[in-house]
Amino acid sequence: MSKTQAQEAGEIARLLSYVVILLGAVGLFCAAGAIPASRFEKLGAGAFPKIVFAAIALMSIVAIIDALRKISGPAYGRFLCDAWGWARRCYLVFICLGALSAYLLAIPVLGFSIASFVFIFGLQVILMPRRMPSIALAAVVAVVFSFGLNWLFAEVFTVFLPRGVF
Amino acid sequence: MSDFMTGAAQIFTFATLIYMLFGSVAGIVAAAIPGFTVTMAIVLTLPLTFTMEPLQGIAVMLSVYVGGYTGGLISAALLGIPGTPSSVATTFDAFPMARNGQPGRALSIGVWASFFGTLISTVVLIFAAPPLALFAVRLGPWEYFSLIVFALTIVASLVGSSVIRGMLAGLIGLAISTVGTDPIMGRPRFDFGIEMLQTGLPFLVVLIGIFAISQLVSEVENADTVRSGNPLVTGAIDFQTWAVMKEVLMRPLNLLRSSMVGVLIGALPGAGGSIANLVAYDQAKRGSKHPERFGTGEVDGIVASEAGNSATAGGGLIPLIGLGIPGSAVDAILMASLMVHGISVGPRLILDHGDLVYGMFIAMAVASLMMLVVAVCSMRLFLRVTEVPKWLIVPVVMTCCVVGTFALNNRVTDLYLLIFIGIAGYALRALSYSLAPLVLGVILGPIAETNLRRALMTNDDPSLFFTRPISLIFLIAAVISIVWAIRSHLKSRKLSERSSDAAAS
Repeated sequence: MSKTQAQEAGEIARLLSYVVILLGAVGLFCAAGAIPASRFEKLGAGAFPKIVFAAIALMSIVAIIDALRKISGPAYGRFLCDAWGWARRCYLVFICLGALSAYLLAIPVLGFSIASFVFIFGLQVILMPRRMPSIALAAVVAVVFSFGLNWLFAEVFTVFLPRGVF
Repeated sequence: MSDFMTGAAQIFTFATLIYMLFGSVAGIVAAAIPGFTVTMAIVLTLPLTFTMEPLQGIAVMLSVYVGGYTGGLISAALLGIPGTPSSVATTFDAFPMARNGQPGRALSIGVWASFFGTLISTVVLIFAAPPLALFAVRLGPWEYFSLIVFALTIVASLVGSSVIRGMLAGLIGLAISTVGTDPIMGRPRFDFGIEMLQTGLPFLVVLIGIFAISQLVSEVENADTVRSGNPLVTGAIDFQTWAVMKEVLMRPLNLLRSSMVGVLIGALPGAGGSIANLVAYDQAKRGSKHPERFGTGEVDGIVASEAGNSATAGGGLIPLIGLGIPGSAVDAILMASLMVHGISVGPRLILDHGDLVYGMFIAMAVASLMMLVVAVCSMRLFLRVTEVPKWLIVPVVMTCCVVGTFALNNRVTDLYLLIFIGIAGYALRALSYSLAPLVLGVILGPIAETNLRRALMTNDDPSLFFTRPISLIFLIAAVISIVWAIRSHLKSRKLSERSSDAAAS
């Protein structure tokens, strides 16, 4: 993929983001209008959000017009292909975000120590050049920053991290 | 004079100095961990000071305070993640400098700028506490709203590569701040019946998600560099202590201006370090002969941000000492620690407990010196972070972010918010949105809304924003700031067009 192609694919992705932001701003502007006004003040709870969302909508329209000006016709046809190529190159990003999401959802169930150990050790093994010393180091680091951190917070700072249901 | 000597005698005891040393180390370490703020470090220190003498306890907490403002610099420079909200602007230039192979220099500049910033703010605190405190308390909601309008014009300096996306990011930040209970009447807004949105999106969770998670995830974009075991930052671990001190002192105007910005913003209740570093950075960029260098590892950028945020430590004490009004959460905790010892904090504090007030001034100066010593001695240790490979540091720092997010309110739902904000933050980063305006919007949004509505509740005549002199001054400053930004933008566009024409011919 040439540099211009990559720039155009990025510009289309940004155009899509402007459209999403515009739709969100219009929806939330309407939602802000439905917030009841107060008899005790001139501006109600919905006034400030309405100003903000109106400004976002206006700015999004400007951004959309600006983006449409920059993108050539054939770029739209190539976009899906380019986006798929980017996603394949950055597959570790998706693994990281997926692992983080699973970790955060698992904390209330497994407790901080176990969930953190599994997350740190698992993600390190995925990211590392796999050699025996590295795996041993990863295990030690995972123990220190899961069980060790939990102990430090509970015993020294009396801040109790989630214990889980087990 | 006798009060001064009594205060000095209490500070310069072996026990107090040792406690202050521990406080400095604790502040630096706590703030270096993303997600842990200076406020949290001070809250954790408070129970430990109950058994100490009042001035001893306050001195220890001031050491944590001063150390904490510097500690945020470490992760900002080495990881590109602001350790505390007050070091957001430090990431703009310290991180690129560290990435360019000068991590030691980046840290050193930040430490010296913090040291001088704290010293300057202490001097201002000593001489200007009573008049400045009286000025700050006279500001009504009109002046505050106009001040925030002026502060919002900073977005123009932080927009990055695209003005439109920068402004959109700033507005999205303002929009994020409107989620949850409204600040005046307590009406629910935009929670869609979801319980975790009812209390709004906590600022720290937004900061961690937007800056830390997105930065960490972007570190693993290139699978080859991660798998080869590359460290985050490569380059010489060279602290260059004295050479850098001279380098910082060679910028007296920037140092003084940024420190004064920090003092003034610190003196205003409700503002604080999280805004001061951005305003100081903005002013330094506008005042520079080479604004185009900002964001690429410019020394002035680091000096401005660090001097600005450290100077708020002294500035924040102005309303506390002058009037007994805590200007920030940290000052409220300092006030609480005095009240625990039966000392009533108010306008009579300086008259009734002169030794304590002078002791606090001396403690500020000693704490900044101690921070400098601790930082210089421990930086080599911190710089070892740069040698840690990405595959090891990314999951570990993510876990620290999770702990910081949870410890803020002890709420599991904040962790769920972190997932969404982290993913949104990465998406915005990948789409080349500038993230700093978004954070500024989240900080300033509630202050702007509260004061706008409060002003119109007090008097529904909107012309008061233009007829009250101080409010008018802030609004005129905002207009000048926008005009200046447009002028600079047009100028830089002309320059880049000219250079591309020259390259083409």
